[in-house]
Amino acid sequence: MSGGEYLADGKNQSLFKDKPIKILLAKPGIDGHDRGMFVLARAFRDAGMDVLYAGLLPTPEDVVDTAVNEDVDVIALSLLNGAHLTVFKKVMDLINKRKIDDIAVVGGGTIPDQDKPKLEKMGITGNYGPGTPLKVIIDHITERATEARSRKNRN
Amino acid sequence: MNVDELFEGIRKRDLRSVSRSISIFEDDLQSSKADELMKRIYPITGRAHIIGITGPPGVGKSTLMGRLSKRMKETGKDPALVAIDASSPFSRGSFLGNRIRMQDSLRENGIFMRSLSNRGFKGGLSLSALGAVKVLDASGFDPIIIETVGSGQSDLDIISIADTTAVILAPGLGDEIQAIKAGIMEIGDIFVVNKIDREGAFLAMKDIQDTLSLGKSGNWIKPVIGTNSLTGEGLDELINEIDQHKKFLGNGSGRDTRPTSELYLLLENRIRKLIESYVSDDESTADIVSLVRSRKIDPYEASEAIIRKSFGHVGKN
Amino acid sequence: MDYDDYYSRKLISLKERIPKENHERELWSEKTLEPWNNSTGYEEGNFENSSGIKSDYYYNSEDIPKDTESSDLGKPGEFPFTRGIYPNMYRGRLWTMRMFSGFGTPEDTNRRLKYLIKHGESGLSIAFDMPTLYGYDCDNDRSHGEVGKCGVNVSSLKDMEVIFRGIDLSKVSTSMTINAPAAVLTAMYIAIAKKQKIPLNQVAGTVQADILKEYIAQKEWMYPPEAHIRIIRDMMTYCTENVPKWNYISISGYHIREAGSSAAQELAFTLADGFYYVDLGIKSGLSVDDFAPRLSFFFNSSINFFEEIAKMRAARRIWATVMKEKYGAKNNRTMLLRFHTQTSGYTLTWQQPLNNIVRTTIEAMAAVLGGTQSLHTNSYDEAWALPSEQAVKVALRTQQIIAEETGITHTIDPLGGSYYLEWLTDQMEERAYEYFDKIEKMGGMLEAVKKGYIQKEIAATSYRRQMRIENGEEVMVGVNKYKEENEKPIGILRISRKAQENQIQRLARVKSTRSEKKVEESLSRLEEAMKNPDENLMPYYIDAVEAYCTLEEISNVGRRVFGGWKEPVIV
Ligand code: B12
Ligand SMILES: Nc1nc2c(ncn2[C@@H]2O[C@H](COP(=O)(O)OP(=O)(O)O)[C@@H](O)[C@H]2O)c(=O)[nH]1
Ligand SMILES: [Mg+2]
Repeated sequence: MSGGEYLADGKNQSLFKDKPIKILLAKPGIDGHDRGMFVLARAFRDAGMDVLYAGLLPTPEDVVDTAVNEDVDVIALSLLNGAHLTVFKKVMDLINKRKIDDIAVVGGGTIPDQDKPKLEKMGITGNYGPGTPLKVIIDHITERATEARSRKNRN
Repeated sequence: MNVDELFEGIRKRDLRSVSRSISIFEDDLQSSKADELMKRIYPITGRAHIIGITGPPGVGKSTLMGRLSKRMKETGKDPALVAIDASSPFSRGSFLGNRIRMQDSLRENGIFMRSLSNRGFKGGLSLSALGAVKVLDASGFDPIIIETVGSGQSDLDIISIADTTAVILAPGLGDEIQAIKAGIMEIGDIFVVNKIDREGAFLAMKDIQDTLSLGKSGNWIKPVIGTNSLTGEGLDELINEIDQHKKFLGNGSGRDTRPTSELYLLLENRIRKLIESYVSDDESTADIVSLVRSRKIDPYEASEAIIRKSFGHVGKN
Repeated sequence: MDYDDYYSRKLISLKERIPKENHERELWSEKTLEPWNNSTGYEEGNFENSSGIKSDYYYNSEDIPKDTESSDLGKPGEFPFTRGIYPNMYRGRLWTMRMFSGFGTPEDTNRRLKYLIKHGESGLSIAFDMPTLYGYDCDNDRSHGEVGKCGVNVSSLKDMEVIFRGIDLSKVSTSMTINAPAAVLTAMYIAIAKKQKIPLNQVAGTVQADILKEYIAQKEWMYPPEAHIRIIRDMMTYCTENVPKWNYISISGYHIREAGSSAAQELAFTLADGFYYVDLGIKSGLSVDDFAPRLSFFFNSSINFFEEIAKMRAARRIWATVMKEKYGAKNNRTMLLRFHTQTSGYTLTWQQPLNNIVRTTIEAMAAVLGGTQSLHTNSYDEAWALPSEQAVKVALRTQQIIAEETGITHTIDPLGGSYYLEWLTDQMEERAYEYFDKIEKMGGMLEAVKKGYIQKEIAATSYRRQMRIENGEEVMVGVNKYKEENEKPIGILRISRKAQENQIQRLARVKSTRSEKKVEESLSRLEEAMKNPDENLMPYYIDAVEAYCTLEEISNVGRRVFGGWKEPVIV
């Protein structure tokens, strides 16, 4: 699948025919810090992904419904407001309740190192914070998306 | 999920099966599964009324679709939505921004909506759009409303699978409107001037009416409706006109070109795939490409060489 | 709206200020520079600032208009106020050291405010939590996990009473960073002042309330723009008459910049917002000299030292000029641009956090050299969490050191007259007028915002900067250069979950002791008033908060009457 190495403009197009990685960027909870979202949205698009943004203040239900209807490979959860432990968990609870195992969930934002293991345990990987190079993020997402896609395509 | 499971899921309207099935039509690598699925669902399709919504960017198509679907739901219909976003010509990636404009209506009314990107290889989009429509049709949604930006061949292909096409315009398009009109007047069954809350809306409506009256009119008189998608004004009228047009088609008085366009779409795609499977980037193709790159031969010679290599001859034998 | 060519005419005359060629520099270049560069192997570096302005090797008198001193600079306290708005500036009175604070419960914040007052802070500035900023109560489902996290929670008047317990509102001025529900918080403040028996004409303070920049940058709104603007109009007219020392709006560039704009964009969009509010006041029947003196501004101070100083000087000059020429202001106070400054949070890094103290110091110095009236300095743990007590203290001390040790305050506008700075100030000014004219042509600022034009401009600048950081063209020490492996986590402020429980309990108590009848009556009167655009809402808000209607109950009335708002697609 298309990933990090395609970030540069104009490189590589239409040579591959698989469906691009489809990713939903979401800030569940009450958080209007969207600068990073727009950076990621553009970077992901320029890396060849199909990008959805859930908009301002979606509820955890909105996020999971959108992910299912759009059949995304990855949900990228971002919070800068410090509520990640509670709010990300709400999203994971819904995902688990609906037995969704073929959508990867990655996280990021203002997440103190101390909280990262807790998020990993919920199944949220990455958890990248300020100053992370986009390449690191895109590579991680590509890896998780590939896993998710192969789960989707199993019979 | 295998095709049997998907098929069952579609019939029971399990949303995960529905959305997964649409993905399969978007993924060229899964085309055999897609073919198999299409064969299964085709017999149970054809029930839904398919509405195309088209028009230039920014006129309010997505907002209108959200509102319209909400209103339809309130009046007992069971709509599903598909919207197409343009992808980047550089990376093939896309920003699927239509959804966000209708999110509230979707949430409040539990309406299914799917974004498709107009990516990559030729013909891919129309095929996945057709796939999406068929899947939704098979799971009993009616109507199915599909938004496109209304330019380019693949968009026209999509419009050709719609029963009723509504062209959306808005005041303030300026000189653009003349250029747009030239291309779009033909394909519309219903014309909508959205943003009637804005200055110039009534002039725009009148302008369109005048243009329409110049063209040859068949049995269907193309209506021009004013809407405000932020308040919902005019939507009942639009729904009514859509219903009228459906009736008109049902009477046999209108054309029913959909099966032919579907057929063409599928056929064209089949043929393209066939050619591509011959042409596939094997070494000798790569050699020909490198000859073009070094300007030793021109692209026309090259394409003939590739076809000759694959089929043994060029043109009808 | 009709197009007014004021800005376009202005722009033309600005562009003609100096000749295109700089003879002295050209001669020097030939004679001295080129031989030197050729012999030493010079490679052109990147000398561009955030606004896309490229610096030359050096500047000289040919780079500034001949009459700069008399017409563009003026003298301190005189039109066009480029050098400063007061005749004696910091010699007379230092800037107000105003540290933005607030977290957890009203009790926590009350303690933090008293701590800051004890350590020499001269003005209060309150941060609210996410539910409060968006008009939700602490017991709403959405608020779960967010109560007290990013600021203090206010669900009803009771909470405000606790925040200000033991603080005499006639002695301190309070600034509240609140926007969508600003009128409700203003009403609460007025209610407390009434309880403390302070006459309303003595109540001083500020609410941010700049809703345009919310749609542009901070993304806190409840209703469509027109509805919020009507509420601002109501605050404007009510306060002008009844609470004359209340700054009912603080026109903010800070957020625009943090959302990713350049310095020039910050300047242009903030002043354009300002002019929008001036038009609004005039349209509501006020005279410009009656209300515009209460308009104040809020700028960012980022890391490119001279660019920031130039921006602040240009801001003063533009405001004074436009207020005088375009709006016919007669009173000097109408022309002065007073502003608060905050150092840039965005420039502060997660990596090697102690370096942030240095960045903040440089940014704070720029603000002081730019002539700010008040200042917030960010803490070194900015990228990690809300500041710890120790980190805030260092940040406050930074200001005190600049004020009392460095001597920067001894003379006014000490950099004024520098060829480079004057040239840069002119450049910033031109770029601002370019945007003013473009926005005017689009039908004004509200249109430009509703279309998403401003937001897209900012997002594009932000992405460009991000790309420059990614490929190393722009350096962030510790992030893309001089990196260290295995950095240790730092100790951070943690908000206890108790905050949420306490708040929910208090709200329940409020609800069980208030008169439901009064609540219903005041809410339905508010609803009727909202439906009538000629009605001023302020008295109804005051009524409702005094009846202990909750913030969300009050906000919901507007949600019913006005509906919500979806932003245009920005990417
Ligand atoms: C810019 C900024 C703002 C701007 C936001 C503009 C905008 N439209 O985005 C403004 C000034 C408006 C603002 C306001 C507020 N802010 Co603020 N803000 C910041 C600041 C300084 C930088 C954030 C930023 O945009 N960085 C640049 C972008 C590009 O980086 P990024 O978002 O971090 O994203 C990168 C990575 O984190 C990662 N990433 C992020 N998300 C995800 C998700 C996934 C899946 C992955 C893989 C990666 C990933 O990838 C990105 C690219 O590298 C931070 C502090 C800091 N230095 O980080 C505070 C900060 C986030 N803000 C804070 C607060 C409190 C607020 C307010 C609540 C203040 C108040 N009480 O009024 C308001 C609330 C605004 C709102 N509506 O939500 C606090 C949050 C405290 C906490 N978590 O405990 C912080 C940490 C500052 C502080 N120490 O107090 N803020
Ligand atoms: N004033 C007004 N604005 C509208 C109306 N319908 C849509 N809009 C606005 O027009 C912009 C573009 O809408 P969108 O639905 O994304 O248009 P699309 O590109 O055609 O799909 C948005 O800012 C909408 O809020 C309307 O009826 N009146
Ligand atoms: Mg659209």
